[in-house]
Amino acid sequence: MTESFAPGVRVRDLTVVYKTPAGELPALAGVGLTLAPGTITGIVGESGSGKSTLALSLLNAVQPPGRIKEGSVEIDGLGDVVKLDGEDLRQVRGRKVGYVFQAAQNSLNPLKTVGKQLLDLGRSHDVADLQALVRDARELLGRMGLDGARVLDSHQHELSGGMRQRVGIMLALVLNAHLVVLDEPTTALDMITQATILRIVRDVHHERGLTTLIITHDMGVAAEVTDSLAVMYGGRVVEHGPTTEVLGAPQHPYTQGLIRAIPRLSGDIDEARALPGRPPTLGTMPREGCVFRERCPLRMDVCDTVDPAPVTRGERTVACHAVGHQVSPPRRKEYA
Amino acid sequence: MITGTGITKTYKQRGHILGGRDVQALRGVDFDVKKGGAVTFIGESGCGKTTLGRIVAGLETCDSGEIVIDGTPMSGLRHRQRQAHFRRIQLIHQDPYSALNPTRTIYQTLHAPLALRARQTGRSKAWAEERARELLTLVGIDPGYVLPRYPHQLSGGMRQRVVIARALTVDPEMLVADESVSMIDVSLRLGILALLKDLRERLGVSVLFITHDIATARYIGEDGELYVIYRGQVVERGPTETVISAPVHPYTQALLSAIPVLRGVERPGAERVEPTEALDERHVDTGCLFARRCPFRTDECEAERPSLGNGGGTPQEHACFHPRPRSVIPVEACA
Ligand SMILES: Nc1ncnc2c1ncn2[C@@H]1O[C@H](COP(=O)(O)OP(=O)(O)OP(=O)(O)O)[C@@H](O)[C@H]1O
Ligand SMILES: Nc1ncnc2c1ncn2[C@@H]1O[C@H](COP(=O)(O)OP(=O)(O)OP(=O)(O)O)[C@@H](O)[C@H]1O
Ligand code: SF4
Ligand SMILES: [Mg+2]
Ligand SMILES: [Mg+2]
Repeated sequence: MTESFAPGVRVRDLTVVYKTPAGELPALAGVGLTLAPGTITGIVGESGSGKSTLALSLLNAVQPPGRIKEGSVEIDGLGDVVKLDGEDLRQVRGRKVGYVFQAAQNSLNPLKTVGKQLLDLGRSHDVADLQALVRDARELLGRMGLDGARVLDSHQHELSGGMRQRVGIMLALVLNAHLVVLDEPTTALDMITQATILRIVRDVHHERGLTTLIITHDMGVAAEVTDSLAVMYGGRVVEHGPTTEVLGAPQHPYTQGLIRAIPRLSGDIDEARALPGRPPTLGTMPREGCVFRERCPLRMDVCDTVDPAPVTRGERTVACHAVGHQVSPPRRKEYA
Repeated sequence: MITGTGITKTYKQRGHILGGRDVQALRGVDFDVKKGGAVTFIGESGCGKTTLGRIVAGLETCDSGEIVIDGTPMSGLRHRQRQAHFRRIQLIHQDPYSALNPTRTIYQTLHAPLALRARQTGRSKAWAEERARELLTLVGIDPGYVLPRYPHQLSGGMRQRVVIARALTVDPEMLVADESVSMIDVSLRLGILALLKDLRERLGVSVLFITHDIATARYIGEDGELYVIYRGQVVERGPTETVISAPVHPYTQALLSAIPVLRGVERPGAERVEPTEALDERHVDTGCLFARRCPFRTDECEAERPSLGNGGGTPQEHACFHPRPRSVIPVEACA
């Protein structure tokens, strides 16, 4: 058994830029986000809103042409990971912070069996008991509805998309990290498997006392598994708060539009409406004013010139001029 | 457009420490996609959807069974003739990360097939350029932004849209869309679905849609059909609306019951069904393939395998001895 130690994470003023022909452009612009120790936080948001970039930043793993330009990522017990490098950083990744990156389905080595790659991972982190590692891996795969022995013996091309995804999750959990970052962990999965995986993520989270960050474009997944939900748009966190409140009573017009755009299983299919327009890209991101204004039904003059600052009221943080003056009753915990 | 009868596919696994084990990916699947029609496959991971999609697109051959395209059986044809038929069916790949060549810009990726087409049809170079922009606009991305970029510079959703645009470069008569909206954000997903629906209605393109997001099946057309596949067998099929709102096969019910409930907006369906155990693909069953996991099984189910039909007078076809409609999907929590 490992001792329970769920780290808190504080992302402050994080700006990450990518070098493009048009110069360095921000994929994250002064992002602030707190993961309370022991909670499961979800991040949802449009394609290109910077979710994966934020996930990579938690491991200080943003690759060129990208770089963390400013800001800090404080993780309890590790300090500011933005300042770590070399061997320190390598030790943190996998061992202290478990992760599945979005491209995990393809990050397996096509030439080696999953089992060989597991052993490589164990050796690179000086795991003493490799047999126990294999046993743990098999157990995790078994819990996720797979034949562990078959999977460890397989090469990547012999596994279906969903099977590879579960292999990624196994690799994120098998080294007993206390902070786990899962970027789109159930994207290629069917509903039953997804429900199973989400239950396992939640069970392991509680059993081991983890702090977990789940990035997903699927509101349903976020609704099912997270305690707290952050919504990103154009490189900013535009709304953050307890999951049921954000879903049940969204305040930011983007969150409202996003929820309305979910394809519906029953009722009139026209109830669901796409948000007009398209999300900004690095190149089309407005330099000033609110990044959402082009698609916003509540747009005012001030939105064209002033980037709305996140305002925290109780457990909810919202960055919108139109919502800023609304008052909601104060609550117990600080989220922001 | 294309029909399949009794399609089977078995993968032999070699080099196992535990000895070779065969995977029966498809066990006698029948399907029929009409011209301009829409068929959606849903089912658990590993149940054979991608395998079937690849067979339909001519990228994989079946072990037995017959594929007929516009009245022509494929089995009698030589490789080259078969290729000519399958060229009209384009697969949109499940995984936008490996589907695009990382060393080529989006411009190069789209331009190659379009330039070829321009040569074949005697059109100008300018046409190819214009068409590339048109197709990107059609799938909802800014041509000016993506054309000069490499795949790794784009987010997952953008890549997926580029993959769809590329499939459209050859004016296909049928698209096999394997998980192709799953990477696309909710706010744009409806747009892509509307695009597929529009391609059906305007150009008569047939769509074979493979998805885990069952709700999206409703959006590629009201006339669509839904196939539920379990361990390589079709266990229920019928009009999309019917199968979603009144599924009769316990497996379909389990699948629909697992759809996440939007807490705060919805509440769970009244008769949710949970499988009694996890999928164990190693198991060899003589009876119903779902029997081990089915909460409603009887001795009959374990003795004999039910075949697809309208037993019990259901509007949809199913492979179950005890079909009964249940309301399992989440419902709107009215305020
Ligand atoms: N290597 C790169 N070079 C240039 N731009 C990049 C690079 N990687 C990401 N970007 C840009 O940074 C922005 C944020 O990308 P990111 O991958 O973080 O988005 P995301 O929210 O994870 O999107 P998705 O939901 O599609 O995965 C996007 O505009 C993207 O095009
Ligand atoms: N080339 C291959 N060699 C061996 N086995 C294979 C091969 N391709 C697929 N399989 C096996 O065939 C079965 C069906 O795989 P398939 O990819 O069709 O599933 P799927 O329904 O698309 O799953 P998912 O929803 O996870 O994408 C799986 O058990 C898989 O491991
Ligand atoms: S045939 Fe029997 S075991 Fe199979 S799904 Fe129906 S009730 Fe369940
Ligand atoms: Mg991402
Ligand atoms: Mg598949």
